[in-house]
Amino acid sequence: MQFQPMYYDGELFLPKIELNMTSNQSIGIITDLKRKQLLMNQLVDHSQFYLFRAQQSEYMRLTVEELITFLIKVTERNERVALLMDYFALKEERKVKIKDLSSSKRMYVTLLRVYFAHQPTLVLEEPYFYLEEQDRRQFKRILDDLLKEKQVLILTSNLEDAIISCDAIYRLNEFGFHQLDIRDSEEDKQEVQKQDEANITLQKISTKRNDKVILFNPPEIDFIESIDGSILVHVGGDNYDCALTLTELEQRLLNFGFFRCHRSYIVNLQKVREIITWTKNSYSLRLNTGKDAVVPLSRSKLHELKALLNI
Amino acid sequence: MSISLKRARAIFVKDYKEFSRNYAVSIMLLFPICLALILRSAPPSLLHGAIGIVLNTSFVILPCFVQACLIAEEKERNTLRSLMMTPATTMDVLIGKSTLVFVMSAIVLTISTYILGYEPASIWAFVAAIILSIILYTAAGTICGLFSQTVLEASLSIIPVAVIFTGAPGGAFLVDDYPILKVLEYVPSSQLVYLLGIPNIGFTTGDLLKPLLIILAWTVVLTIVSVVLYQRRLKDE
Repeated sequence: MQFQPMYYDGELFLPKIELNMTSNQSIGIITDLKRKQLLMNQLVDHSQFYLFRAQQSEYMRLTVEELITFLIKVTERNERVALLMDYFALKEERKVKIKDLSSSKRMYVTLLRVYFAHQPTLVLEEPYFYLEEQDRRQFKRILDDLLKEKQVLILTSNLEDAIISCDAIYRLNEFGFHQLDIRDSEEDKQEVQKQDEANITLQKISTKRNDKVILFNPPEIDFIESIDGSILVHVGGDNYDCALTLTELEQRLLNFGFFRCHRSYIVNLQKVREIITWTKNSYSLRLNTGKDAVVPLSRSKLHELKALLNI
Repeated sequence: MSISLKRARAIFVKDYKEFSRNYAVSIMLLFPICLALILRSAPPSLLHGAIGIVLNTSFVILPCFVQACLIAEEKERNTLRSLMMTPATTMDVLIGKSTLVFVMSAIVLTISTYILGYEPASIWAFVAAIILSIILYTAAGTICGLFSQTVLEASLSIIPVAVIFTGAPGGAFLVDDYPILKVLEYVPSSQLVYLLGIPNIGFTTGDLLKPLLIILAWTVVLTIVSVVLYQRRLKDE
């Protein structure tokens, strides 16, 4: 399966993707709404791909049994309705009209359309999103049976949904297309938890914005400034209020490579790209964050900084 | 393109069940019958006019509106797109739907004609004209359905059809003031009125054949346009 690259506003929006899909394999791609649409729009070949879109709805006035009968006939399969109803575990809902089903059951019945697809590849958008626990299990069972003959591609924005039934999971976002190693990440998490227990001393910097408390890991922070007595923590181009004083922050962040470069500034040295010399007595530091951020540097601190950086 | 009667029948049965339970649309079946009952008391001299009004209004409401609703509803729920990914071809879908509309229209119109007590000059010419007209208006309904995304839009989109086709015989009265309206004489509904008005005695085959041929030409053109548009529109989506 191949996807052509797409550009949007002059930036690469969708990289070129080549998926080597073997039979009996299900692949999950975690991505956002727009990229999901773009991916599906490229799969136009109706003889190869069966597309199940999230907006798919059903013939509301038919009963479940009538719908299954219709699907069998229209796809010219030689299966018995009663047996299939058993297989789908829909015996109790046999005579219920689709509009009277619960929303989870209705979605489940709608999803059954993929069972009747004759194409070798099934592409499903958000299959598990509206399903309750029991229907999820049922649909996963059917999907697993389908996998014996077909390949499945699941497009979702939710990692958990992808984990339910995918052998390989990829993440597609503005940073490109990368495979997630599910097993490794679980082990990593456990290690991180152990570390947290070991030195439980407060590492996070707590800030406030719109009455919400937001905690940042020190490496995330670009720089901290003090304006009119209030402390602003700059992260990724945005700023957040902090209740601590600059002196307290300086002590706490010293071990993380932060540096008090000015009476009212602390900067994350990991993010400094350039030391700008304006005149003999005035200097600035340019950061390599997304937005062009420049932090003043006092003359008295210049020597300290040079010593720190061994220059 | 392969046509499978089995698949077309499955679509026919499915649409019949859906339609019969959709009371908002299926109640339209009663409209021609009610209209016939009201106009039944018209004096015999006006009977030709009455049958013309009943048929020409019913054609827009029955085959045209119902077909537009059937297609628009499938589009609204994305089931048409899903049908395109099954072995069912465009023709299967269209034949299945059109047959249902045709059968219903034929039954209802027969009942209305019977209620009115109209006796045509030639029963064969009359039946042929009705059959051709039903196919013609079904094709018009298909086009309306393709240009609307929801059932609501479909019910509005048949208004142009109603104005042009049902209104054409009425427009003929204005011919003296606006000579350009002479074109309206060639609209199938005007031809149908003309055919209905042929007296029971003293007509020639040529009298019958001319309106029939004009209606046939309309039917063939609209049917081809609707099938081509159908395939074109569905590929875009």
